[in-house]
Amino acid sequence: MLFHLRRRFHLLGAGTRTQQAWTSSSCLFMDPPSCRSPGLVLQSQSTDVYQNLALEDWIDGHVDLQRRSILLLWRNRPAVVIGRHQNPWAECDLPAMRRRNVALARRRSGGGTVYHDLGNLNLTFFTSKKAYDRRRNLQVISEALRRVRPELDVQATDRFDLLLNGRYKISGTASRLSRKSSYHHCTLLHSADRSALSSLLRPSCPGIHSNATPSVPSPVANLTEHAPSLKWEELLEAVVQQYNSEFGLISPSRLVHPADESLFPGVGKMEAELRSWEWTFGKTPKFRVETQLELRDGQAAAGCSAELLMDVKHGLVESCRLDVPADWLPVRLSRSTGEVLLGERFCPHRAAAALAALLRSESGQLQGRLRNLCEALLAVMG
Amino acid sequence: MKMAMRAALRCLSGNFPPRLSRLSPPALVPATRLLYGNRSGCWRTFSTTSVHCKGKEKQSKTSSSTREQGWTQLSMRTDNHEALGDVVYCGLPEVGQRLEQMDEFGALESVKAASELYSPLTGEVTAINTELAENPGLVNKSCYADGWLIKMTIEKPEELEKLMDQPAYDKFIKSLEE
Repeated sequence: MLFHLRRRFHLLGAGTRTQQAWTSSSCLFMDPPSCRSPGLVLQSQSTDVYQNLALEDWIDGHVDLQRRSILLLWRNRPAVVIGRHQNPWAECDLPAMRRRNVALARRRSGGGTVYHDLGNLNLTFFTSKKAYDRRRNLQVISEALRRVRPELDVQATDRFDLLLNGRYKISGTASRLSRKSSYHHCTLLHSADRSALSSLLRPSCPGIHSNATPSVPSPVANLTEHAPSLKWEELLEAVVQQYNSEFGLISPSRLVHPADESLFPGVGKMEAELRSWEWTFGKTPKFRVETQLELRDGQAAAGCSAELLMDVKHGLVESCRLDVPADWLPVRLSRSTGEVLLGERFCPHRAAAALAALLRSESGQLQGRLRNLCEALLAVMG
Repeated sequence: MKMAMRAALRCLSGNFPPRLSRLSPPALVPATRLLYGNRSGCWRTFSTTSVHCKGKEKQSKTSSSTREQGWTQLSMRTDNHEALGDVVYCGLPEVGQRLEQMDEFGALESVKAASELYSPLTGEVTAINTELAENPGLVNKSCYADGWLIKMTIEKPEELEKLMDQPAYDKFIKSLEE
C-alpha cells in the first residue's frame, strides 16, 4: 500500500512518464506536456463540511506540490468549524447546533472557530513549503475585490485577517504545515447568516479551564452588506482571475466532487475520520470543568447548589467530584453519580445512559432529587 | 519570509519516507539538535526529521550481556522558530506511552499554523515537560533547556545509525537551498 501510494505520489508530479493507463486522478493532476500549467483551480461540488475537509487532507497528502500550486474553492451547508486544538464545549453552543442541524467539524489546521454556511466562501491555497506566503494569498482576495468593487477598503492585518473598511472582519485564516507542503485556508463572508453566527458561537459549558487555543472574537460583516450587487459567481470569477494574475499562472478551473474515489482514492476513509466522535471531540485538549449546579425540587428551586469538579481527557470523564449538600441528597448517591460517569464520553446522551441504572435503583423523593441533579449535570455537557 | 522558508526547509530530511498510508502526512516540526552521548561521555550531534535528541548511552549493570540502554530528550531546534512562529499550544503524550519510529507523539500550534510531532526513534516516554501546558512559549524561548518536549528510552539503538549527524545534516540543508 505504501509503495503503491509512493509510486502514485511520484507520478502525480512527474508529468511525462505516462506509459501505463492511469486512473482519472492522475489525469486530473498531471497535465499533458503540451499544455503544462503549474497551477490548478478546483471548485468543490459538495457542500458537506466533512467531505470538503477530507478533500483538503487528500490534496495535502497526495499531490506533489513542489512544482504546482492549487487553489481549492468550497462552501458548506451550515457548520461550525473549530481549530485543531480547540475545545468545542468552550467555543460553540452544541445543544443549539443540534436543534438547528448545524454540523460540528474539527479541522487539521490551527486557529479559531468559524461559522460556515452557503454565504461563506472558503479558499485553500496549496503550495510547497518554499512558496508558503499567506500575505500574498490574501492579496489575491483583496486585489480581486478592489477590481470588482473599488469602493471597498479591504486590508490584511498582522494576524492575517481581512478587515473591511478598517473595522469588520470578513476573513479569517488558518494553516497547516506538513513535510514538504503547506496549506493556507481562509473564509470570506459574502452573505452568511450573521445572526446564526453570533448565536451559535458561544460556549455550551460554563466553568471550563483549559489550555486549548481560544478564539479571538471580532465584529464581522458580509461583503454584500457593503456591496449589495456583488454576486457569488462574480466574486468567484474575480478571485480565480486574480489568483492566476498574482502567481503568473494559467490555471484551468475544474469542478470536482470530494466523494469521488476514482479522482481521490482513499478520500472516503479520511472523511470518516473527520466525522468521528474520536476526532471531533476526542482530540480536545484536557480540560477541567468547575461550576455550580442549581438544584431543584420538582419545578421549584431547592435553594441550594452542588459544586461540580470534573476533569475530561480525550473527551472522556477522567474524574468527577460532586459536592452536594448531604441533607438534600445522601453522600452515597452523589458519590455514585460521579463514579458512574468515569470513563464515559463527556456527552449528555452517553452520560444519561450511564446514569439510567442508578436512577432506577432509587425511588420517591430521592429519585426525584437524583433525577434533577443528573439533569443539571447533563446540561453542563452541552 | 524567505528566511522563514529556508528555516522551514531545514525540517526536511531524506531519511524517512513519507508515510502516505497515514491519513495525514508526517508533518514536520522544526528539527532540533540531536545530542547523543557515546561511551566516552562526549555529546554527538544528530539531526532528525522532526525533533532533536539529547541523550545518553548507559551500560546496563544487571544484564550479563551488557546490553546498552539509552535515553533521549527531545527538543525543538532554534533555527525553525522563524517558520513556526510563537508556539501557543503544545500537546504531548502520556508518560509510559510507547512510540514507534515516526509515530505521532504530539502537536504544536503556533500563531495559526498547526503541525504534528513525530518520534524519530522507538521507545517509551519516560517524562513530559508539564511546564509547556501553561507556558508553551518556552519552546521558543529556551528550547534546549526549559522548553524540552519529552524524554524517552531508546529501544533500538540501530535507529540512531540511520539519523544524520550534524555535518551530514548541514550538507543536506544546503542541498535543499540550492
